[in-house]
Amino acid sequence: MRRMSDLEEIKKALEEWRKNKEAWPERREAFHTDAGIPVKDLYTPLDVEGIDYLRDIGFPGQPPFTRGVYPTMYRGRFWTIRMFSGHGTPEETNERWKLLYKEGETGFSAAVDSLTFAGVDPDQEVEGAAHEVGKEGVPLYSIRGVEAMVKDLPIDRMSVALVVEPLTSAAVTSMYFNVAKARGLRKEQLAGTTQNDILTMTIGYIPWGSLKPADLLKLACDLIEYCTPMKEAPRWNPINFTTYNYREGGIDAVQEIGMGLANAVAHIEEMLRRGWKIDDFVHRLAFHLSAHRDFFEEIAKYRAARKLWYRLMKERYKPENPEAYRFRFHVQTAGCSLTARQPMVNIIRTAYQALEAVLGGCQSLHTNSYDEAICLPSEDAVRLAVRTQEVLQEETGVGSVIDPLAGSYYVEALTRELEERIWDYFLKIEEMGGVVEALNTGWLFGEMSKAFNKRRRDQESGEEKVIGVNCYVLEDEEPTPPFRTNPRAAEIEKERLRRLREERDGRKVATLLDQLRRVCERRENVLPVVSELTAAGATLGEITSVYREMWGVWQLPFVA
Amino acid sequence: MEKKIRVLLFKPGLDGHWRGIMTVSKALSEAGMETIFFGFKNVDGVVEAAIQEDVDVIGFSCHSGAHLEWSRELVRELEEKGVRDDFLLLIGGVFPEQDHEELRRIGMDGVFGPGTNTADIVKFIRENLESRVQKRG
Repeated sequence: MRRMSDLEEIKKALEEWRKNKEAWPERREAFHTDAGIPVKDLYTPLDVEGIDYLRDIGFPGQPPFTRGVYPTMYRGRFWTIRMFSGHGTPEETNERWKLLYKEGETGFSAAVDSLTFAGVDPDQEVEGAAHEVGKEGVPLYSIRGVEAMVKDLPIDRMSVALVVEPLTSAAVTSMYFNVAKARGLRKEQLAGTTQNDILTMTIGYIPWGSLKPADLLKLACDLIEYCTPMKEAPRWNPINFTTYNYREGGIDAVQEIGMGLANAVAHIEEMLRRGWKIDDFVHRLAFHLSAHRDFFEEIAKYRAARKLWYRLMKERYKPENPEAYRFRFHVQTAGCSLTARQPMVNIIRTAYQALEAVLGGCQSLHTNSYDEAICLPSEDAVRLAVRTQEVLQEETGVGSVIDPLAGSYYVEALTRELEERIWDYFLKIEEMGGVVEALNTGWLFGEMSKAFNKRRRDQESGEEKVIGVNCYVLEDEEPTPPFRTNPRAAEIEKERLRRLREERDGRKVATLLDQLRRVCERRENVLPVVSELTAAGATLGEITSVYREMWGVWQLPFVA
Repeated sequence: MEKKIRVLLFKPGLDGHWRGIMTVSKALSEAGMETIFFGFKNVDGVVEAAIQEDVDVIGFSCHSGAHLEWSRELVRELEEKGVRDDFLLLIGGVFPEQDHEELRRIGMDGVFGPGTNTADIVKFIRENLESRVQKRG
C-alpha cells in the first residue's frame, strides 16, 4: 500500500509540473472522450486513489472480473473470429461461409435480409417485399433455406450465430435446430447464439409491422425458456443483448452499456415472473457490444461492463452458479464509423477498433469490411477483414498477456468513471419502469433522435472529425467497384417456397397454425409448436402473421 | 410571409434503418422547412399523401440495396397519377456511387450518398425549387 506522504509528494510535484508547462500552448482548450468525459493532460497515481486492487480490479476469471471473464483468456484460446455474413440466396451464403472457413474464420454468423428480419415471405401480400430479397442478407424463409445455408459446414464443431430478433427468433432458431438434429447433432451439441434482442428491433432498426414491446419481450423470453431452463438447447445462448445496434445510432458508450443492462434486467425479471429461478437461466445471457472511435474509452467500457454485470448479479440476483457472474460478449467494429469516401481508410479504422476489442477481452469478434459503407462486403474485402484479426492473433503478441492495460492510471480512472456513469444511466431507465416502459413512452426513441442530431451537428461543424468526409477530402475520387447481390434472388426464393408448399403436408401446417393461434391467445411458450411448424415446412411469414393477427401490430410512439 | 417549403419523407419497403431519414428530417426542419415523416410505407400511399399535403419535395432513404427498384416505383406511381412534375424527388442512403447516374436517369432529382452534409441537401432543395418556379414563370 502507498503511504499518504507519497501521494502528497506526487500532488505537489504535479502542480509544479503543470505550472512549468503553462507557457506551452495546447492544440485545443479542452479535451474529452467520445462520451463527453473530460480528459486531463496526464494521469498519475492521484487518479487511481481509492481503487483497491483486490476489491476493484482483481484477477482474470475472478470477481469482479475487471480483467477478464476467464483465468487464461487468449493464452488458453484465442477469441472466435466470427464474421457476420449473408447475401443473395442460402446457397451463395453457404459458398461465402465456406470461403470464410477456409480463410480461418472460427465461428459462423448469419446476416439475414429485411424480409427474414420482419417475418415476411417474398410471395406475401406486402407490396415491394420481393425487391429486398437477399439484399441485406441471406433469405431464411423456411427450413429449406437454413438447410442450404449450413450444407457441408462443420456445425458440429463450430458455433453458429443467428442474427434474428424476437419477431422471428423462435421460427429461425427452430429451423436451425431441426436441421442440425436431422444432421445427427444432439441437443448438447447445439452450440451458438440467437441475437433475439428487443431493443435492436425497436430503437436499433424499425422493422415493418413490429409487435408491441411487451409481446417482443414475451417472444424473447420464450426462446430463453425453451433453450435454457427447459433444456432443449442447453449450450445455446438464446439471447445476445446487442448494444452494438443501438450504439450505431450515435449514442455513447455510457448509454450503450446502460441500455444493455436495463434490457437484460427486463428479461431476467420476466423469467423470474414466469416462475424460474435465477440459476435456471442467467448463465446463458450474453452480450454483443460495439468497438467505436475512442480507443481507451472503449477498452475501459469493456472492463466497466464486466464489473457492473458482476455487481448487478451479486447485489440483486445472487445466483449460485459462478458462470452467471461472467459478462461474456461478442464485439463488432463500428459500422457507422466507416466512410464511403476513401474506403481503404476503413481498414485502418477497423484494425484499431479490433485492437480495442482484444485489449478489452472480447470472446468473439467481427471485423467490418472496408466496402461496407457502400454495399455488402466483396470477397476481397471480407478476406482482408479476417486477416485483420489474424494479424492480431499471430503477429502482434497481444494475446500473450491478459488485460495488459490494467494499472494504467488513465485506463483505471476511466474504467471507474464509466462504471459510475453507466450505473447512473441504468438506474435512470429503471426508475422510469425499465426498457419496455421506456419504449412505450417513446423515451428511448427520443434518446436515439437526440444522438442522431448531435452526431450530425458535431460532424458537420467539424467538431467530430471524419477523415475523407469533413477533413482530408480527396477530390475526384474513383469509386470502389461495388459487390452486387444476386438479382435473381427473389425469383429463386419464390420458386423455393412454391415447391415447398406443393410438397409439404398443407393440412398439417394449417392445423399447427391453428394450434399456434391458441398458444398465442393463452400466451404460452410458442417454441414447441413453432418448432413443429418449421419442421413441417411452415414459412416465416405464416408464423409471424399469426403473431400479428393475435396480438396486433405496434404503433410506434414516434419522437422525431 | 413566404410559404414554407414542405417536404415529405419516407422509408420504402421493409428496411428499418431509420437514423438517416430522421437526421435529414431534423436538418430540414432546422433550415425552416416543414417536414412530414410518413413512416415505413409503400409508394402508392406516399404519392396520395404528397398530393393531399401539397408538398414541394418527396424524399426517401434506402439502405436495403433496392434503391433502383424503389426509385422506379416512385416515379412510375407519380407518372400514373400525372403529377411527376409537381415534386422535387430526393433519395439518400447507402448505395454505390456507380448508381447515381442511373438514379438520376430514372428521375430522382437529388441523389445523396453516405457522408452528405445536410447543408448541401438544403441548398439543393432551395436552388431547385427556385429554378422550377422561374421556369414555370
